[in-house]
Amino acid sequence: MSSGMESEGAADVLVIGAGASGAVATRVLAEAGMKVVCLEQGDWVSPDEFFGHTPDWELTSQKIWHPNPNVRGRPDDYPVNTEESDVNPLMLAAVGGSTVIYAAHWHRFMPSDFRVRTLDGVADDWPFAYEDLAPFYDAIDTEMGVSGLAGDPAYPETASPPLPPFPIGRIGRRAAEGMNKLGWHWWPAPMAIPSRPYRGLSQCARRGTCMQGCPEQAKASVDLTHWPAALKAGARLVTGARVARIETDRAGRATGALWRDRAGVDHFQAAEAVIVCCNGVGTPRLLLNSASARFPDGLANGSGMVGRNLMMHPYAAVVGYFDEPLDSWLGPAGQAIHSLQFYETDADRGFVRGAKWNAMPTGGPLGMRSAYGGKPLEEAWGANLHKTTAKRFGRSFEWGIIAEDLPDEANRVVLDGSLTDGDGFAAPKIVYRNSENTEKLLAFHLARAKEAMEAAGAYEMTTTELMRDCGWHLMGTARMGRDPETSVVDEYGRAHDVPNLYVYDGSVFVTSSGFNPTATICAIALRSAMNLVETRGR
Amino acid sequence: MAKEDPIRFTAADRARFAAIADHLIPEAEGMPAASAVEVQNAGLDHVLSLRPELADSVLRGLRSGGEEDGGAAAERLNREDPDAMGAIGLVASAAYYMHPEVRRRLGYPGQVQRPVTPAEEDDFRKGGLLQAVIDRGPIYRPTPEEGGAGG
Repeated sequence: MSSGMESEGAADVLVIGAGASGAVATRVLAEAGMKVVCLEQGDWVSPDEFFGHTPDWELTSQKIWHPNPNVRGRPDDYPVNTEESDVNPLMLAAVGGSTVIYAAHWHRFMPSDFRVRTLDGVADDWPFAYEDLAPFYDAIDTEMGVSGLAGDPAYPETASPPLPPFPIGRIGRRAAEGMNKLGWHWWPAPMAIPSRPYRGLSQCARRGTCMQGCPEQAKASVDLTHWPAALKAGARLVTGARVARIETDRAGRATGALWRDRAGVDHFQAAEAVIVCCNGVGTPRLLLNSASARFPDGLANGSGMVGRNLMMHPYAAVVGYFDEPLDSWLGPAGQAIHSLQFYETDADRGFVRGAKWNAMPTGGPLGMRSAYGGKPLEEAWGANLHKTTAKRFGRSFEWGIIAEDLPDEANRVVLDGSLTDGDGFAAPKIVYRNSENTEKLLAFHLARAKEAMEAAGAYEMTTTELMRDCGWHLMGTARMGRDPETSVVDEYGRAHDVPNLYVYDGSVFVTSSGFNPTATICAIALRSAMNLVETRGR
Repeated sequence: MAKEDPIRFTAADRARFAAIADHLIPEAEGMPAASAVEVQNAGLDHVLSLRPELADSVLRGLRSGGEEDGGAAAERLNREDPDAMGAIGLVASAAYYMHPEVRRRLGYPGQVQRPVTPAEEDDFRKGGLLQAVIDRGPIYRPTPEEGGAGG
């Protein structure tokens, strides 16, 4: 850092990262009267920066709003070395983080997810149970404005979401009819997207462009749902603030963070407590970049688990084509229905755990054409392009398969030896391979999804065995647990090694489940932040 | 790029682009050829204004090779410079599918606003569709006591 460093007034709490967990935590702490400063490397994104209301939407989705930071290459992004990974991690540096471009699938984990060691003899149990988190799921559902239907037989009884579910539409009906023929589970999908106007969010217009940012302000991204309240409560949010490292004192307590602004000026933000909310890649990167003489292997890394057990949810898909128009571009983009038929372990299948399925629309014509890439010229283009487009476009849906990814210490985030971000700070490298269990799981689920498509009436299908750009869900790299020898933080996100350092994002997950994790990230952040308020000063 | 430097593409470049684009997207199956919806002019410029990083590959592809028709150029580029071929194909198809006449013929309105109407609500209940799932009963495993039998 330069010698011209500027020092900021001390905060009660410094939150690093303004995405899902950072927003939830900042709001709770600020509303409790704490002086909270949040440092965010990205910026606010205005709805007029999105293209969903223009014909440019699909083209820009492949670059400007691509979820892979290595493709997008915005100045706010940091690069990620993925040469040794089967999957690319996806994220957005912005106020609201990746919720700005997420699909807003809003699922809670099932009870078995918190007890996989006890039930299935693999991985570890979480330090709390589903029932401990359930009230926080209920609360966060209300904060986000979830649209959904209570009574899903894949769960214990839950409170009704605040908004009614979306209609399942033509693709949902096709998918559901197929599942009923087979006697398999499905349910109208819960979404953090308002089916009706809700607390300042517009009613969803069903443009189907959720994953490139909602131009309607009709998706529960935390820049809309949480940051206004957090700022109103007095929190200070600093954008364009790239944190270099967390500093500690002689006693081993965090004192604050060194960060650099867009003009290249270095700052020190002092704080009584530091909460890291940088996602499952950014958080271990920052902890490892915060190594010191006292913490030579990285901050809070006495267990050696910082960066290890990275889970990213390998994703496979079957697209079915039908002989009738299905409005396959109608939103929400994420899912019309979901299925948990094969979620729980069945030992006869030869693998443990399972996957969540989502029946999704398939988007516009350019994306469909892109899927022909790699085929011979005469097959992908010419009159065949028109024939295929006429036959398939608007007449398909996808059964997407989110595979539970078991923790494996060999799958990890490390610091790259040479790659850096725009400020010269070491960038992360991902080492990640699918396990044998994952491969068996995906093969089984793909076979079942093909059966489901056939039962739905598909005359033809295409299969994606593993999507490389699927690492939306970044989990496990600062895992929670009771034992400091095998975990980084306790059940409230407090680091075992540094008593005033906390991690609240998906890094703390013990296992990944097979669900989109944002509801659980938010519920855990809410639970942890409320505990911090309750125990403050003790 | 194109908006900043519109003359970077010469008339010859645009003619070559049109020829290749028409080979990839010909008039057939009731759809117009790529050049009929001006992908080589306004389409090319608009797409590259949104995706300027593609311009160098497109130009390289257009200016390689000797005298040949669009089909021969496409085949050669596909063999020898797939990056350029990919960029040309992406720009041509993007410009094509963004054109209102093409969308009209596809029956694709674009990603338009269609908020939920009262008539659509609860469509999942029609014909007892969801009731069949409810009738099959719970499918989850409840929380066990921690540390029970594994495996």
